Amino acid sequence: MTTTTLLSIFALFLFFLVIFYVSKTIELSAIAKNGLKKDYIKATKVNAYMAMFFYIVGMFLLFLTTTSLAPRLLPESASVHGDKLDEMFDITLYITTAVFILTQSLLFFFVYFYRYDKKRTSYFFPHSNKLEMVWTIVPAVVLVFLVFKGIGVWKDLFDFSKLEGKDPIVFEVTGKQFTWIVRYPGADGKLGEREISEENINDFNAKYNLPNELGILWENKESQDDVYPNDIYLVKDRPVLVKLGALDVIHSFYLPHFRVKMDCVPGLPTQFMFTPKYTTAEFKERLKNKKFWRDIDPKTGEARWKNFKYELACAELCGKSHYGMQKNVVVVTQAEYDAWLKEQVPMYKTVVKDAMAKVDKK
Amino acid sequence: MSTDLTHDNHAHHDNHDHHHVETWLTKYIFSQDHKMIAKQFLITGIFWAFIGGLLSLFFRTQLAWPNETFPFLETLLGKWAEGGQITQEFYYSLVTMHGTILVFFVLTAGLSGTFSNLLIPLQIGARDMASPLMNMLSYWFFFAAGIVMFSSFFIQTGPASGGWTAYPPLNGIRDISINLGSGLGFDLWILSMALFIVSSLLGGLNYVATIINLRTKGMTMMRMPLLMWALLFTAILGLLSFPALLSSAVLLEFDRILDTSFFLNNIVIGGDLLAYKGGSPILFQHLFWFLGHPEVYIIIFPAMGIVSEVLSVHAKKPVFGYKAMIMSIGSITVVGFFVWAHHMFVTGMNPNLGIVFIIFTLLIAIPSSIKVFNWLTTLWRGNLKLTPPMMFAIGFISFFIFGGITGLFLGNAPVDLPLHDTYFVVAHFHVVMGVSAFFGMWAGVYQWFPKMYGRFMNDTMAYIHFWGSLIGGYLVFVPMHFLTSVPRRYYSFEQFVTFDIFQDVNIVITMGAFLVFATQIVFLINFFYSIFKGRKMTDDNLNPWGANTLEWTTPVERIHGNWPGDIPQVYRWPYDYSVNGNEVNPQNKPLEEGEAEH
Repeated sequence: MTTTTLLSIFALFLFFLVIFYVSKTIELSAIAKNGLKKDYIKATKVNAYMAMFFYIVGMFLLFLTTTSLAPRLLPESASVHGDKLDEMFDITLYITTAVFILTQSLLFFFVYFYRYDKKRTSYFFPHSNKLEMVWTIVPAVVLVFLVFKGIGVWKDLFDFSKLEGKDPIVFEVTGKQFTWIVRYPGADGKLGEREISEENINDFNAKYNLPNELGILWENKESQDDVYPNDIYLVKDRPVLVKLGALDVIHSFYLPHFRVKMDCVPGLPTQFMFTPKYTTAEFKERLKNKKFWRDIDPKTGEARWKNFKYELACAELCGKSHYGMQKNVVVVTQAEYDAWLKEQVPMYKTVVKDAMAKVDKK
Repeated sequence: MSTDLTHDNHAHHDNHDHHHVETWLTKYIFSQDHKMIAKQFLITGIFWAFIGGLLSLFFRTQLAWPNETFPFLETLLGKWAEGGQITQEFYYSLVTMHGTILVFFVLTAGLSGTFSNLLIPLQIGARDMASPLMNMLSYWFFFAAGIVMFSSFFIQTGPASGGWTAYPPLNGIRDISINLGSGLGFDLWILSMALFIVSSLLGGLNYVATIINLRTKGMTMMRMPLLMWALLFTAILGLLSFPALLSSAVLLEFDRILDTSFFLNNIVIGGDLLAYKGGSPILFQHLFWFLGHPEVYIIIFPAMGIVSEVLSVHAKKPVFGYKAMIMSIGSITVVGFFVWAHHMFVTGMNPNLGIVFIIFTLLIAIPSSIKVFNWLTTLWRGNLKLTPPMMFAIGFISFFIFGGITGLFLGNAPVDLPLHDTYFVVAHFHVVMGVSAFFGMWAGVYQWFPKMYGRFMNDTMAYIHFWGSLIGGYLVFVPMHFLTSVPRRYYSFEQFVTFDIFQDVNIVITMGAFLVFATQIVFLINFFYSIFKGRKMTDDNLNPWGANTLEWTTPVERIHGNWPGDIPQVYRWPYDYSVNGNEVNPQNKPLEEGEAEH
């Protein structure tokens, strides 16, 4: 242990010792003056003033914190449904802020204005059905409103019939410790079928000396043109249906900017649909003049908006590198997407075909 | 109706004391006296609170300074902080154990265990609990659970590290390659929880039986202090919901050691499909949260009950809306059983099921807000003595408003979707549980310390404790709410441009955490010192706070059977403050001539 550590510990010890002795002295002198009973009249006065001070300074600091940190909150939604979620958040925020200010103010005002005064007596007011009705019905009305609006938005999120005739990009993401296996359909536009069986996974691996964790049926033509890119590419204004799953433990597919989150559960396929609104480049333009984003990041020396990117993160504890499951998400035009897709080489071509041929030929 | 035939007020009951031979062992260790058991729960709870809080300082250090090394850490933690930085695996053990210890050992056992044991017999007018033996066992099962949990820290492959929520498959497969803390450490966690649940069930049965059956003459249900109602509902909640956790823990352990597939299906690890087939990880979540949600009410109800008592005593004013308060706590109890899947909105469950949970979750906000408005009205036009317990009760209301309000965001599924598993959730539950519930607990400790030890705690240190915790609590958790998009249970934010922008906020939060912890040291010094050297409560000051409830009618020196003579008879409800020309009208004071009962 270094001298600094030891000195700090000693200083801390002294600090608590001082508090202890000062407190003890105050107590003993109070007992010497007034005996063993206490009326707390002076303490009430001091704490009432402190409470009012805390309330005023606290509300002000709360305001300051909000103005200072709010610009860092997620910028506007990068997806269509995200706007509706943000609207619900904002409505809830306005209502709860109003309630917060009202109730905290009443609390601290009452503490200060009704502090003990020997000239007053408490007002015996045990109940009032009228008052109870007021603060039962008013919250109920507000909550029913929030519930109905929420239900409407929630149902829409999962109304997959909306995708009919829309030609969504359908791709698959599978979580595994500690990465995401991303699979896009190839030129045929279809994702190859999977079969999760010992035969197709364990035996395949043993036979061809090649892991087949996803249980892809490699004999099928549909599987043979599927690609496994490093990044996720999406098209502006084109709906996306992402098919989700996991190999080992629960992960969660989380795209903060698109307000997308859905658990990836081994043995239980899930899915989510959304439509990106802005290309990455467009979104960065929209950030260019916003507070916080236009400022220089001391770590990079550049304005923050310049290094912005959409990201995929894991949102369910999955083990020791849960915090490291990062992937880039890029939104481009249809033409750029087509070009990118063409560049990806199917895994069948690069790895699987030869590995299978080596064994099958024998 | 009080069954006062078997539990009479006759004096011959104290002959009981003369025949009862007390050894040091039976007085302080294997005591069957509810007051001693209460202290055992309290002190054990304080021990675990210290450990759980200390764990948070470690992981908050990692979060604030992810690239610094602290050689001191390696001295303390050895291989878990190699090179002076906490390892990833140990970080996850830290957060797992922090949650487990604080939710169960401190806020459940430490809170309900202490105050149910201390006050139920005293406030309803009973000699002791319905079964003092079962009561003693409930403490010792808790103690045993603690020993097992403590031992898990010293396992080679580490303590449990898959989150206090213990989701499979991460925790369902006994394979340290998928999770280091998923070996023996987690098996011990399950054993500890099983022992703990037995403790809670034994306690709960006793509390319900005692309240229903052993009230003294005149103590009708509607003359019980609100704290008794709160503790009654808490016990009922526990009895109905803890078995769900016990069964899910047992099934989880079967999956781990017997290769069953209750919660496992289609698992591929290391390139191989494992043999598990047909189970569902989501089933575990349903079972877990079926306890998990009522659990948070088990935590908050005792705090709420304490606050009701403390406010009325120090405002010398009845708690406003006695019946409404009971109905609110009753409806939260009932509705609280229908909200559990608001923890599971993004699991892929049928959206129509989600709708049911939105409705019931937001519905619960109604009785909760009724309680807040009733407490505010209790303060209105009172004559408030701002004693230490009163300050903590007031602080409880402030934090409960703050924390309760953020629940409205999370209970509404579309709003919850982006917030699920982020720091917004962490902030929410810490404000309601990690701050409010603690403020309720501290209010109770300061209020009833004289009843437990015949001495008072030091006021200066008490006020320092209050102001440090109030300021610190807001300092830590207000900034945390702004990390709305940052996932929880992240070892560091640096892998993501999106989350790294909040790194400096981590430093503020961590400093706040250190401040709060330091403040608690003042409380610890005060608590233990005052047991031996605190200002004495004397026989001419039996009711120092001027309360109406029965616990203040017992002598300073605690005795078995609580009252040396007959148990007092009750003539009125507990909230006749500032009425009939008296500030205080104890429950055992007969109605005066012409006085109508409230």
